[in-house]
Amino acid sequence: MQRAVGSLPLGPALRARLAAAGFQTAQELLDTGPCGLSREIGISKEEALEALQVVRQECSGDAARTAGGAGTTRKCTALELLEEEQAQGFIITFCSALDNILGGGVQLTKITEVCGAPGVGKTQLCMQLAVDVQIPECFGGVCGEAVFIDTEGSFMVDRVADIAAACVQHCQLIAETHQEEDHQKALETFSLESILSHIYYFRCRDYIELLAQVYLLPDFLSEHSKVRLVVIDGIAFPFRHDFEDLSLRTRLLNGLAQQLIIIANDHKSAVVLTNQMTTRIGQSQSTLVPALGESWGHAATVRLIFHWDKSQRLATLYKSPSQKESTIPYTITPHGFRDVQPPAVTQNTESTEMNPRKRPRREEEK
Amino acid sequence: MPAHPARAANRGRRRTLAANRVSLEGWGWSGVPCTPLWELEAHAQKERPGSQPGNEGRARFGRSPAFRARALWQEMDWEQLELNPRVVAALRKADIKSIKEVLNLSGADLQRLMKLSSADAECLLKTVSHSLRRNCMLTALQLYQDKDHFASQHQKLSLGCSVLDNLLKGGIPLVGITELAGESSAGKTQISLQLCLCVQYPYKYGGLESGAVYVCTEDVFPSKRLQQLIDQQHKLRADVPPEVIQKIRFGNNIFVEHAADLDTFHNCITKRISLLLKRGMVRLVVIDSIAALFRCEFGASDSVLKARYLQMFGAQLHSLSTRFSTPVVCINQVTDAVGESEAAQCGCGSVDNKVTPALGITWANHLLMRLMVSRVSQRDQLSGAVFHHAGNMRTLRVAFAPHLPPSFCCYTVELEGVKGIK
Repeated sequence: MQRAVGSLPLGPALRARLAAAGFQTAQELLDTGPCGLSREIGISKEEALEALQVVRQECSGDAARTAGGAGTTRKCTALELLEEEQAQGFIITFCSALDNILGGGVQLTKITEVCGAPGVGKTQLCMQLAVDVQIPECFGGVCGEAVFIDTEGSFMVDRVADIAAACVQHCQLIAETHQEEDHQKALETFSLESILSHIYYFRCRDYIELLAQVYLLPDFLSEHSKVRLVVIDGIAFPFRHDFEDLSLRTRLLNGLAQQLIIIANDHKSAVVLTNQMTTRIGQSQSTLVPALGESWGHAATVRLIFHWDKSQRLATLYKSPSQKESTIPYTITPHGFRDVQPPAVTQNTESTEMNPRKRPRREEEK
Repeated sequence: MPAHPARAANRGRRRTLAANRVSLEGWGWSGVPCTPLWELEAHAQKERPGSQPGNEGRARFGRSPAFRARALWQEMDWEQLELNPRVVAALRKADIKSIKEVLNLSGADLQRLMKLSSADAECLLKTVSHSLRRNCMLTALQLYQDKDHFASQHQKLSLGCSVLDNLLKGGIPLVGITELAGESSAGKTQISLQLCLCVQYPYKYGGLESGAVYVCTEDVFPSKRLQQLIDQQHKLRADVPPEVIQKIRFGNNIFVEHAADLDTFHNCITKRISLLLKRGMVRLVVIDSIAALFRCEFGASDSVLKARYLQMFGAQLHSLSTRFSTPVVCINQVTDAVGESEAAQCGCGSVDNKVTPALGITWANHLLMRLMVSRVSQRDQLSGAVFHHAGNMRTLRVAFAPHLPPSFCCYTVELEGVKGIK
């Protein structure tokens, strides 16, 4: 009840009047009552009543939060945070090399941005993650659901079905070799249909629709509390044209990033964004950099850059608070996003050619 | 052909239309039951989405496009939304008229501008967002199973050849820009002409029951070849009963546009093509070629301007494709790869690849999928099985696509059209 008047969600004019009249805490307002309040700061009784309702609501909200121990202003030690983060788990990517450099997989409560040239596999990773987030806990998954916001129209449900079927099959194989009871039980509900029915798909055709969708997400996530992954594929497309005023774009993007951070935090879900690459023309040579400019670079906690090296797809961890920068190869198979297999398994001539160079690096990491 | 008064009046003004008429004269443009393009434009004011009865093609993509555009830009009657009268008054006072304006402002901006409390501002944003989006949530399962409602996820435009369709898992996706890149004489135009015919077949036979618009930016439209292809359709499409083929007036449903410069092209895609699409008269847009527009007008120093144009065109074509679930096929030229890195940028993973599609990554970012065609040189033809096609062998390769693995198949161009070889 000692909350400062300035922090209450009241209109700015009202706040200024309250401050001028010398009110400091919410408790003082409640003690004064509607009649007193309307007299003291010269507003109508209706307005005063309304203001007091807001105050009461806020105060009860505060009380509930402190009681539950999950308030926004909750204090906790770094150790608690560490334990919490470790308990949260990761969304695995099915490419162990990528999981390793990410420190276990895509982290919940963090924003991960995937940048890359067209066709390198950004959408494939998104679709893979939307399936993988649903892997039952006994198989090492997080048993969640996924929200997929598609701005480019590149979501192909047949492809997702392929990936999902491969994932189910993979879990079945594990269950067969281990013969554990909870595996069998989990598999009863883990099917192609259940995976697909827990991917919530939104199509946004322009940036206005995307902004609107993100404003609606908190409510949606409260209704669907099992969602552990929000994918926006891609963030760059709607923001890269139609903008005369670049400062507006920066402002909107910063606002969007803020919203996404809040969503990731409040709902304990991972947010995965994809970004395009663009050419930056330097003095002597031009280089490929992620689009949307420098300030957007701060939005994501983890930034991955996908690129080609001849016919090999590579992923570079470019920004991460906890892992060192490194590069690993990956492939995209009919089953989805995977590790590069040793040549004994794939009879592909191309990968044989590549291997003298690739193999030492992978062994190092393992 | 007697000059229609309206046409004669328009002829001077619209050179492209004159070209249009000439190229189609060969196969009875005069007897066309459909409305010519210029008359359509006159009706544009009266245009009402969803007002035409019995047009199946239109019914499939519904009335959403125009409706949505209106909701975004037009003045909103705020009373219609579930908003506190106080907030509505504040909106009026702050002179905020459209949904777009509200969403362009952050919560803090709204508080400042409209003198609202943060709870009110948040509520306003949510209400407005909700009115724009409603319940647009779909599960992937719905997309997967409900094949009638989400045709764009399942239906593809056939290429008119089962081998090529197999390679592309059914054909060209309905939503998104498909690029067809390759050196000259690799067969790009042949494939796109064939698509213009295939789109006119009934849904049952892989078509979309509608016409095509073909935008030429470099050469004149190959009308002679088109006529040849039309005459040979019964040979190419042995899977379709001859009476079905006979019923289709192929030539009447292909609209040819010539756009040699950027302004004409811009006008063409923003006004004329969208009108044709709105009318449901076409379900395929072919652009032959996108690179030609940029090759002549820009020097090396104008790369920023060039990039802006590319982005604009890419976005416009993309939105046309999305709004009308109509495939857009862009033909692109190729350039010799200077360094390996350049090839890598554009997602052409193949090592032996010496060429990359023109226009760089700015353009490539807008593509849904990229197909590369090339001629096979004599020395690459290994087996005797394909030897009898020597000199005419070409390959169609998937460079990238969200739903296809990188793969390729061989094809030949014959009198009756493009045919894949197993």
